[in-house]
Amino acid sequence: MTLAPENKTKKAKKLSMKARYEALTRGLDWEPSYVEKDEMFPHLDYEGIKIHDWAAWEDPFRLTIDAYCKYQAEKDKRLYAVLDGFAQGQGHLGLTDASYLNAMKIFIQGVTPLEYGAHRHFAYLARHFAGPGPRFAALCQSIDEIRHMQTEIHTLSNYNKYYSGFHNWPEEYDRVWYLSVPKSFFEDALSCGPFEFLIAVGFSFEYLLTNLLFVPFMSGSSFNGDLPTMTFGFSAQSDESRHMTLGLEAIKFLLEQDEANVPIVQGWIDKWFWRSYRVTALVAQMLDYMLPRKVMSWKESFELYFEEQMLGGLFEDLAFYGITPPRHVEDAIKEKEILSHQVYWTLYQFSFAAAFTTSAPSDEHMDWLSQAYPDTFDTHYRPLWEKEKKNIEAGGRHFAPGLPQLCQVCQVPMLFTEPGDATTFAQRESEFEGEIYHTCSNGCQWIFEREPEKYRQAWLPVHQIYQGNCGGPTVPEVLEWYGLQDGDAGEYIGSRDHRNWQAWQGEAAADTATPDETKAGA
Amino acid sequence: MQYELKTQVIEPQRQTFTHIAKRYGDKPASRYIEGSIDVQPKEHFQYRPTWDPTREIYDDSYSVFRLTDAYSYLDPRQYYYAPYVTARSGHHEAFATSLEYIEARGLLERLPDGWRSVLAELVLPLRHLESAGQLILCGMARFGWGATVTQSAAYSAFDRVGNAQVLSRVGIALGGGTTDLLAEAKEHWLHDAPLQGLRRMAEETIVETDWGLALLRLDAVDRLVYDLLYQHLDDEAVVSGAPAYSLVAQHMASWFADNRRWIDALYTAWREDPELGATNAALLAEHGAAAVDTALEVVTPFAARIDELLGGSSAVDRITTTAAEVRAAHTGAAA
Ligand SMILES: [Fe+2]
Ligand SMILES: [Fe+2]
Ligand SMILES: [Zn+2]
Repeated sequence: MTLAPENKTKKAKKLSMKARYEALTRGLDWEPSYVEKDEMFPHLDYEGIKIHDWAAWEDPFRLTIDAYCKYQAEKDKRLYAVLDGFAQGQGHLGLTDASYLNAMKIFIQGVTPLEYGAHRHFAYLARHFAGPGPRFAALCQSIDEIRHMQTEIHTLSNYNKYYSGFHNWPEEYDRVWYLSVPKSFFEDALSCGPFEFLIAVGFSFEYLLTNLLFVPFMSGSSFNGDLPTMTFGFSAQSDESRHMTLGLEAIKFLLEQDEANVPIVQGWIDKWFWRSYRVTALVAQMLDYMLPRKVMSWKESFELYFEEQMLGGLFEDLAFYGITPPRHVEDAIKEKEILSHQVYWTLYQFSFAAAFTTSAPSDEHMDWLSQAYPDTFDTHYRPLWEKEKKNIEAGGRHFAPGLPQLCQVCQVPMLFTEPGDATTFAQRESEFEGEIYHTCSNGCQWIFEREPEKYRQAWLPVHQIYQGNCGGPTVPEVLEWYGLQDGDAGEYIGSRDHRNWQAWQGEAAADTATPDETKAGA
Repeated sequence: MQYELKTQVIEPQRQTFTHIAKRYGDKPASRYIEGSIDVQPKEHFQYRPTWDPTREIYDDSYSVFRLTDAYSYLDPRQYYYAPYVTARSGHHEAFATSLEYIEARGLLERLPDGWRSVLAELVLPLRHLESAGQLILCGMARFGWGATVTQSAAYSAFDRVGNAQVLSRVGIALGGGTTDLLAEAKEHWLHDAPLQGLRRMAEETIVETDWGLALLRLDAVDRLVYDLLYQHLDDEAVVSGAPAYSLVAQHMASWFADNRRWIDALYTAWREDPELGATNAALLAEHGAAAVDTALEVVTPFAARIDELLGGSSAVDRITTTAAEVRAAHTGAAA
């Protein structure tokens, strides 16, 4: 037994803020002696990453628990006050149009569940990393992600009371075809080892593509009168800046620990760039087609948030470590002119089996698209919509007859064209153990061939329907299995939401006499 | 020109989400319920984890304790994120006020020697036990089944970091504004005989991969240690002129009471499961009793050292009595 400490009643040297923070957070680890260290942290070797000094992890925030709780509690107080006020004042009537909510339906169905997944797996990092610095950062993020999931649910809960498409989101995430795009993406990350997850979600998702994913939703909400979502977005921003810093710290830490980590990390950046980028296909169409009041085009957004900020900024810094821009990034750049159009055209035709509605763009909307996409819209996509306009006038709005074939990796329908050629469909085939697997692009094919034993396991919703695992062989049976209700799917014009909206706006107009001024401003 | 804004009455299409309405009927649901029930994905997992290909990404076989319906467990505190951080913000503020008072009045300097030793030698090293609790509960937050369980575990893991910081701040104050006592406390934790049983238990529980069993063991030790240090010794401190100890103890005790509520509710849900209740009760009796027996074994030298330092504080008697009560609660027998 060591001696009892001598009394130190004299006021000794005052601790600096940094020393104090370290005393509170760092010294807690010890070398185990009753069990092996490998037994305590068993998942740290198999990915090939080498860590020599966990203490080299810098914690840029120096957040103590009391400060964290105080700050977060104050933010939540303000956020919930806005939600309550909006609900009490029937704020939803001030949206630009009920069709705006299609963007939010996709958000709660496809993004909110990812927040939950992040909560779970940052808890995994908080358990399995052998350093207290990254463990604590991961634990903070784990509970931040509960916050995001819940504030999103609570923000959208009020819309659920008045509008279709929100009501069955957890089951839809597990079952519906287009939601297997975000689901398979995130479960790919959840099934990785701790370091790949850190690069996949902490770096690629939270840093590399986060602005591209979230800013369009948040600016969309502010442009369309959705005060709750806008407030939620602002409120999540300070959490996200912590998460972004964690992602950046993570990649630098791995690269600095051992040179042998560099090629492994590069492979993960290559994979997760493309994987995350394919998920943004849903955001691209939302931005260009679903917002009644437009913010910016997908192309502009991609140029600003990805090409300028990431390729121009981040990767120039990472070059120092020998990291190069992600593989297949050229294909993504070529796609910026066509991505949203191809994706929306597909969703438009298959929205009979979705938990959102679609509608053909108006003339005014098409003019905006022509302006935003001078090189592609008028040549390739306006003619499709002009033809569809005639179909609609003749009473025959177009829906696709069957179900789309899905990419084995990203699970987006096989709708993409060859890089640089908007008229030839891209289809890639790979053979693995005597079976043929189809992928949508060079990026997805490369990912498949890197880990065929993983991607062969994919639960592809359309295959599953054909195999009879989704409620039955007919469309109505599948839709029932999806839990869809009348009004959730199909065409927006004449839908339940549209009819209610018109009736409510009529009443609102009669009641207030100045409807336009209560509408969303800039 | 002025217009009267009338409040428009618009009939809602539904009161809550479908999955909530299926359970509780279509009526307005609380934020705890909407933010917690059924939010964990439960089917059609895409790929097997590379770190354990025998299981699914989320799998209810990570513990022998299972529920027919994961959401039969609800946190009685109804903590979703906002009320959780609000409650903890108040908790830490109250502790800071006490510590300010303690420092302003020089109460730590005036602690009788025995009490000072108890704090420095036995209580401060438990910041490492809190850190073990953090790891154990993070494992539960990842591997548990169902969002109500993983949410409670994640908050409780976060609490353990907070507890370690509370103890560390006491240590810094007791060390006259330095970290010397924290460094010494780590040496005590690593080498002192009265703490080795606790450290062994901590390390062995961290590597336990069944989160239910790990929780039982952590809880068994907590129930002996927290009751001893922050209930029993709180009373002793009041009568033996150690108000600084008492002022700190109240905050640890109030956290402990709050934390036990969710754990007891989970045990109740296990026991009352319509299909698995009998199996769970048998598992609780078996593993709960074993956990308490181990806890008593490892906490006894710790309590004996307290008795030594304070010249008889019935610490060993107290943990023996508590252990019998906890054991009886697990086995369903009379104490
Ligand atoms: Fe998030
Ligand atoms: Fe995040
Ligand atoms: Zn693909």
